[in-house]
Amino acid sequence: MIECKYEGLIDRYLLNKMGEGERNEFEEHYFNCASCFAKMTERDEVIGVLKREKSVFAAEVRPAIETRAAAWHDRVFAFFTPKQWVLAGAAAALLVAVLTVTPLLRNAPPEFVLNGEETVRGSSLTLISPVIDIHAVPAYFEWKKLGEDVQYQVSIYNGQLLWKTSTTDNTVSLPDDIKSRMIAGQKYSWQVKAFSKQGTLIAVSSRVQFTVNPAD
Amino acid sequence: MTNSRPEIDLDELVLKYRPVVSFRVRKALGGATPDWEDVADEIITQVIEKVKNGEFRGDSSIGTFIYTITSRRIVDHIRQRTKVLRHAPEPSAFPDPHETVENRERSEQIAEIVKGLKPKFREVLYLYYYKEMPREEVAKRLGIPARRVSERVNYALKLIKKSLKK
Repeated sequence: MIECKYEGLIDRYLLNKMGEGERNEFEEHYFNCASCFAKMTERDEVIGVLKREKSVFAAEVRPAIETRAAAWHDRVFAFFTPKQWVLAGAAAALLVAVLTVTPLLRNAPPEFVLNGEETVRGSSLTLISPVIDIHAVPAYFEWKKLGEDVQYQVSIYNGQLLWKTSTTDNTVSLPDDIKSRMIAGQKYSWQVKAFSKQGTLIAVSSRVQFTVNPAD
Repeated sequence: MTNSRPEIDLDELVLKYRPVVSFRVRKALGGATPDWEDVADEIITQVIEKVKNGEFRGDSSIGTFIYTITSRRIVDHIRQRTKVLRHAPEPSAFPDPHETVENRERSEQIAEIVKGLKPKFREVLYLYYYKEMPREEVAKRLGIPARRVSERVNYALKLIKKSLKK
């Protein structure tokens, strides 16, 4: 029986190990390949049972695996002498330090080009209010103006997107229905993105968190 | 059932694609989502209507045509659900609708078969499917070549399939 080249991907799909592109391609494939679909549903059934019925892996299987893993670790530890392990540890610590510091040094905001000449750095879009915890639902949100002909996209989140709007002004008022949905004690965050007249993203503010504290 | 495109038998189409659409929807929304069956039904109805209206022109395969409708509907459903759920509590866990008596019996049968497998097969199934370890890691843990892991998994699946057919 000729094996379809997608057959080997069934496990990756069922165990959710695929990226979006690969997943879409695979899904389109099984809409067109009855053989792969049949094999996949069969496999899904078995995996479902294995996942639900942990008891099928009788106790003797798991300790056996653990023991073998322990033996494997022993072999690894025996690979170097204690002195060599100390050196390896020091080298690893140095590597970790370098890897931690390097991204911090490179943490410059991205550059966005406005009108092909003027350059606006991403961090220059500064949020003004609210940026700290407040005692009442904010009536408006304000940020520093970037220039003329800039379109701002404001997003407010409560874990997920609560409200999104666009404006050319540097403030925006909250509609009543959104205000009524904002609850005291809950954490919110907001962010502004600036777009040029041509629709190019030119700056992104940081995402600032605030809490509406209950009134005293 | 009338059919504006005689080369497509709608009954056959529904028979063939309902399980495929249902699988895709259940995978995307999760079997615990109570409305996944409604979404799958809506998609099938939409497919029938579109085929009847002659919207399937054969530019792609019928499978791809149905896949596209399915994917769009799933995205719409998730968007809609997100909007609704923003103001409503998440529905409580729902029993897996797939767990009918018949299916439960079959699941028990599979579980029994797995229990009866040799430990070398059970351990590979445990690490590869239950623990979701990559093949290479399973190989390291068991001290066998990666190729051997695939062979054992495939052989174990074959044994399960064979025992189920008996």
